[in-house]
Amino acid sequence: MSASVKTTRRLLGALAALLALGAGRAGAQAPRPAAERLAGRLDAGTRAQVLTLVDSAGREGLPVEPLVDKALEGASKGAPGPRIVLALRTLAGELGAAREALGRTASDPEVAAAAGALHIGVSGEELAELQKARGRQPITVALGVLSDLVARGVPADSATAAVLTLTEASVDDDELVEFRRSVERDIALGAPPAAAASVRMNAFAPATLSDGLEQGARAGNTRPRRP
Amino acid sequence: MFDRDDEMIEAVARELRRPVRLGDGVTAEVMRRVRSEGRGTRAGARASHLVGRIAHWAVRPRTVRVSPLAGVAALAAAVLLMVLGLRAERPAPLTVAAARGEVPTIVPVSDTPSLSSDLVPRPSLVPRPSLVQFVLVAPTARQVSLVGDFNDWDVGSAPLRAVPAGGVWTIEVPLAPGRHRYAFVVDGRQWLPDPAAPPAGGDDFGTPSSVVTVVEQGA
Repeated sequence: MSASVKTTRRLLGALAALLALGAGRAGAQAPRPAAERLAGRLDAGTRAQVLTLVDSAGREGLPVEPLVDKALEGASKGAPGPRIVLALRTLAGELGAAREALGRTASDPEVAAAAGALHIGVSGEELAELQKARGRQPITVALGVLSDLVARGVPADSATAAVLTLTEASVDDDELVEFRRSVERDIALGAPPAAAASVRMNAFAPATLSDGLEQGARAGNTRPRRP
Repeated sequence: MFDRDDEMIEAVARELRRPVRLGDGVTAEVMRRVRSEGRGTRAGARASHLVGRIAHWAVRPRTVRVSPLAGVAALAAAVLLMVLGLRAERPAPLTVAAARGEVPTIVPVSDTPSLSSDLVPRPSLVPRPSLVQFVLVAPTARQVSLVGDFNDWDVGSAPLRAVPAGGVWTIEVPLAPGRHRYAFVVDGRQWLPDPAAPPAGGDDFGTPSSVVTVVEQGA
């Protein structure tokens, strides 16, 4: 065997070793398939039903990650199989409704966040209105703030109106989160949730709503805004 | 007439033929410069020739013969380098530690609403995980774990470490931008929401969870 052939073989061997190492490392960070993640966490019957639901959602263009997460949450919490499957069916329906409200261009995180908003009572029309007000900006954080407010006891319609008003005033995600924190502090101090949201929204008004109104006026936008 | 002219010409020629006396240093200086220019010219010519050969080698079309296996291996090596480069930008893994305590008593700590809302990362084209600190006060707990949609709700994957005094348990976790559901598990059996974070709502399994919202960098 010639020296050049030996050298070539050594080189290929080293490259193959590098390939194997790289595949292992890359596999460590790639998202694992649902079947693999669910293996050993659910009984066989429940796992089969869950995988069927996940596959079906994927074929419909819905995000499947929230479904897998929900199944794993149920498994960790020791929920019985039928309850897990029921929760997934409900979530799949909400994801479908969210996709319908936001359209095909919405990202998976937006659809997942919108499904959460629908779950707490926000309507599909309000989701679409929020998306329109947000323009090209993602609405994931806005929907998260909305859901957080409702979870803190702010009525869904009040929370939706507040977030929509702030969004139309072009507040950014950081300001929305700060608004939510302020409302939470007021509630923790004993303020009624609806009143806390209303007061804080008005407190944001001088800095944000007035700017937004001025920008709207400059752009010739005379559409009336929510109180 | 001719003789006189010839004599004159001969005299001029004689004068012109007479060697001119220059200083001793002139001859040496002239010869130094001649040798110097000669060397520079030869070096320049060699350099020019080398550049020409390289250019010719570079532009001359040729056939490269590579076996399929070698080609795949080379491609894999390139992909591997890219993957390793990307991994180098990832944040540090979870820090985990064990702790001791007693029966858990959970109380809010510090300004913990900031758990979710103090996260105001800066702009980035590719969303990067942000380190989020989770804190729980449980003076009597023996161990506390963090579970959530970021770790497949796996009780064993993210144990909190106990701060030496005060029964404070903490962990820092890299989280991608978005809204994450989570809870604490005390002593492997008691599920608790974060008392200082917003409740998740939609608790389908009878055990409440909390949410943390990580704002995308630059949002």
